[in-house]
Amino acid sequence: MGKWWRFILVGLLAVPFMANAHNVLGGVYAIGSTIEGEIGFSNGDMAPKGTEIIVFDGLGNELGRVETDADGLFSFEATKRVDHFFYGNLSSGHVVDMTLPADQLPETLAGGEVGASQDLVSTTASGSTLDKTELETMIETAVAKQVKPLRQELAAYKEKAGLQDILGGIGYIFGVCGLGIWWRQRQKDQQSKTNASVS
Amino acid sequence: MHIVDGALSVPVLAAGALLTVAGVALGLKKMDYDHLPQVGVLSAAFFIASYIHLPIGFSSVHLILNGLIGLALGWAAFPALLVALFLQAVFFGFGGFVVLGVNTLNIALPAVLMYYLCRHGVSSSSPKVAAIWGAVGGAGAIVVTTLMVALSLMLSGEAFVLAAKATFVAHIPVMIVEGFVTASAVLLMRKVKPEFLGINEDRVYG
Repeated sequence: MGKWWRFILVGLLAVPFMANAHNVLGGVYAIGSTIEGEIGFSNGDMAPKGTEIIVFDGLGNELGRVETDADGLFSFEATKRVDHFFYGNLSSGHVVDMTLPADQLPETLAGGEVGASQDLVSTTASGSTLDKTELETMIETAVAKQVKPLRQELAAYKEKAGLQDILGGIGYIFGVCGLGIWWRQRQKDQQSKTNASVS
Repeated sequence: MHIVDGALSVPVLAAGALLTVAGVALGLKKMDYDHLPQVGVLSAAFFIASYIHLPIGFSSVHLILNGLIGLALGWAAFPALLVALFLQAVFFGFGGFVVLGVNTLNIALPAVLMYYLCRHGVSSSSPKVAAIWGAVGGAGAIVVTTLMVALSLMLSGEAFVLAAKATFVAHIPVMIVEGFVTASAVLLMRKVKPEFLGINEDRVYG
């Protein structure tokens, strides 16, 4: 091993900007019965405009297709309270799967266990005053709006690998090398032993 | 460059895994175990290189270094890259475990090809000729890798020309940078550590 390799390694480690690689990132968030989502690459580029997102339910039935806008955002209007699966293909082997569990959707939607009875309530009590269901929807919408940036930040944080990961990976590689060298050495020792015993 | 889990069909995944196993076996057999530390260092270099993004104009690229690894290691590029790709999947979430075989094949096979194509060139007596062959090796490995990525996607149902174009265009800056990096690495190695490139050595790993 030449000295210069060590220099290159140190140089690589010292590069100050350590952005993430081109992983595909995505998130889906329910705001009331509207599911908003975004997809992009982990280097900050968003998905190109018009990227098709296919929406499935848990059984693999297609619920619909939506396209992303210029900022990589899309929205899908949920009509059933079931798990929604979103699949996007950004070409070059970049695919993304996102799931929105049913319990994040409002209970007023059909398909949930309590959905049917709640539906009845909301249709019968359609007055101008704020009834319970409407209030619940409003709160849900407001909370979802507040929580969205936090969710996005959390998703980005999960994707981020730190110095520990880098050093850990390098450590593993050198460890594997060490194992190889040890194994090789053992073989050599055994060979020389058998040679010695023969002679 | 890293295809993720879920993008490829099962036969492609299986074929990739089988060919990678064969390549790794061949690599381990042909590897000169006295050079194991070099294999480790290059494996580590690849591991980090994909993590470091260099901003170029509108986008950012990361080095892949498979041309350089191929020139220096020959068939041993297979085990070196398999280990690095596995750890990238573990630590960074690049690619995935199911596609590990295909990804290793797509990156390591071009490396081996460049080894056979350029190893005479880089050990030429003229530094200029060696640098040019180094650049060819560095850029060529990326070209072949993008074609193989497109092929993997095509065999899984995507249109080849479309996939190839998208991947190829996105990697043109990488090819240029990689050509320069490999050429200068070759020049440096010739001066400092010529045996690294198999110069002044009767037997290389191949």
